[in-house]
Amino acid sequence: MLRYTVKRLLQLSVALLGLSLLLFAWFKALPGGPENQLLPENATAQQREALRAALGLDEPIWVQYADFLGRVVRLDFGSSLSSGRPVATELADRLPATIELSLAAMLIAVGVGIPLGYLAAKRRGSWLDFAAVSGSLLGTCIPIFFLAAMLKVVFAQELGWLPTTFRLSAGTEYTDVTGLRVLDGLITGEFDVAWDAVLHLVLPAIALSSIPLAVIVRITRASVLDVVGEDYVRTADAKGLKPSVIRGRHVMRNAMLPIATIIGLLLGSLFAGAVLTESVFSFGGIGSFVYQATTERDYPALMGFILVIAVFYVVINLLVDLSYGLLDPRVRVRK
Amino acid sequence: MALLEVEDLRVAFGNATAVDGVSFSVEEGRIVGLVGESGCGKSVTSLAVMGLLPKGRGGRRAKAPEPVQAAAAEPAPGAVKAAAAAPQAVPAGGGRRSRGGADVSGRAVFDGTDLLALTPAAMRRRRGKDLAMVFQDPLSSLNPVVPIGRQITEVLERHRGLKGAKANQEAASLLDRVGIPDPVRRLKEYPHQLSGGMRQRVLIAIAVACAPRLLIADEPTTALDVTIQAQILELLKDLVEDEGTALLMITHDLGVVAGMCDEVNVLYSGRVVESAPVRELFARPTHPYTVGLLGSIPKLDLPIHEPLTPIRGSIADVIRWKDGCAFAPRCDRVAEACVDGEPPLIGSAHAHRCVRAEEVA
Repeated sequence: MLRYTVKRLLQLSVALLGLSLLLFAWFKALPGGPENQLLPENATAQQREALRAALGLDEPIWVQYADFLGRVVRLDFGSSLSSGRPVATELADRLPATIELSLAAMLIAVGVGIPLGYLAAKRRGSWLDFAAVSGSLLGTCIPIFFLAAMLKVVFAQELGWLPTTFRLSAGTEYTDVTGLRVLDGLITGEFDVAWDAVLHLVLPAIALSSIPLAVIVRITRASVLDVVGEDYVRTADAKGLKPSVIRGRHVMRNAMLPIATIIGLLLGSLFAGAVLTESVFSFGGIGSFVYQATTERDYPALMGFILVIAVFYVVINLLVDLSYGLLDPRVRVRK
Repeated sequence: MALLEVEDLRVAFGNATAVDGVSFSVEEGRIVGLVGESGCGKSVTSLAVMGLLPKGRGGRRAKAPEPVQAAAAEPAPGAVKAAAAAPQAVPAGGGRRSRGGADVSGRAVFDGTDLLALTPAAMRRRRGKDLAMVFQDPLSSLNPVVPIGRQITEVLERHRGLKGAKANQEAASLLDRVGIPDPVRRLKEYPHQLSGGMRQRVLIAIAVACAPRLLIADEPTTALDVTIQAQILELLKDLVEDEGTALLMITHDLGVVAGMCDEVNVLYSGRVVESAPVRELFARPTHPYTVGLLGSIPKLDLPIHEPLTPIRGSIADVIRWKDGCAFAPRCDRVAEACVDGEPPLIGSAHAHRCVRAEEVA
């Protein structure tokens, strides 16, 4: 298991290095270059040269890359063009909101998707199966921003059951520990704050969970259908084991392998969906920040965002691979 | 009264009949063979007895499309066509759970109880305890992500109430009994870390864990090397002889039958065509199918390049015992009488289902 972990960690650093190269190339390929943005139109060629030298742009390309890498490692992405604050600070302020929202969405997707997919497989051909399959098709088809807006209109504005925007009700006093409001409320014992945060999370989390939920239902259904036909499930049945034991130890443990992979990939993609959901609900996470950065061509902000998301993706996939090692003994032992 | 008495067992998957009235019995402590080629219904028979077939919509009573077939006696081609199309229409309306499900009817009386009449929960209490099964492919029959120790202890826990260290100890002694060296270490290993023969030994350990009175082995050596085959057969034989367990041996290998079994039932097209004590069967095969099976075994004393003698044709997809002998299309000595109605099972100790056996012999 240790060898496996070390091997995966090495692969991870290679992936991140490749990513930094790509980003650097993208940054270089952007039309204009920073001197055009920073200098007035009538600047002389001398002034341009001076600025390029000051920014290190006259250095050989590999020196520039090393410099870029050095800054990235120190989390120095420069300052946001629109707010003037360091990009790293902006991201750090907003990241917890997005993490909380993504986790809540994934909780819904996993908590509903796996049991639903299992039932659909077990009652294959029933109305429930039909509803689950067609519902998941619908879930992948509805654009997130539309679903988010509809949920908001119906449940928040018309029915008034849930709040329309923000992470907490106006004027709520809270203690910041992790930045995840629900968790903070539970840690500090401010349960009313935690509950308020949960209410604010419900609609955006449902909107954001639609795609992962749909995917998980389908993958679970397919995976369970695969596994229940396996000989070892028949062996378990031949032992006279209770249905709950067959389900847990023999069907789901094997069916979880592909589901775990998909969950990892989906968790990364939730961040992309968060951009739209957060905008609709003014959720104040990384998503709304990026939405703004994109419309205002705030390149340093975008660069920082892409790096953070990429690191998330890679780390999540590492975790998935490691959990795969735990779930499947065959992965562990094979060289 | 025999330990297991299977009477007129019928299994149908929708329209297709897999087992068409199989009857046989297994006496306490005896080894009984169920022999036949692929598709003859021997595995389905064993799964039906174990209650391991997916349930069909029709419940226990399989509805044979007899009345429709009777109409086919009319010589008009239109009528025949209609009759052929009609049976397919019947199960199509069977409902949502009929997909892949089996309709089982008949009786499988085990120690006085009809297993086919038990509720699923009552059957689960007996499976793995009173009657157990060893499967064909040891790799796919073991759960790849659960240590083999757990796969043994779970059955001990279920039927003998053993838990924790006690269960582990018992599992280790079971592994030792089936001839696996260093059993305590092996308990923690996964199926992929074991060889094919070892895996089959583990499956056998699981099957005998609760000292069942009947063990069903479905081609237990098909997936193994020849050298390992002999060891596994020897192990099975020793285990059942030690414990007085009855063994139902399902195989297509007549060599296995000759070496292991006390009695043999030859299956063809979902029916027993011949049943006899093993010596009697090899000495005086009566049904042409049995004769053909014995004739197609390669013999060491034949000259090299001498072609084998196969049975011509292959087993039919649609079973037709009602209209005459199902083996008739492949039989060399077929006559009028063979296709004139259902052939009865003739005789008792050495029974066969051939109307011309007397004339031909």
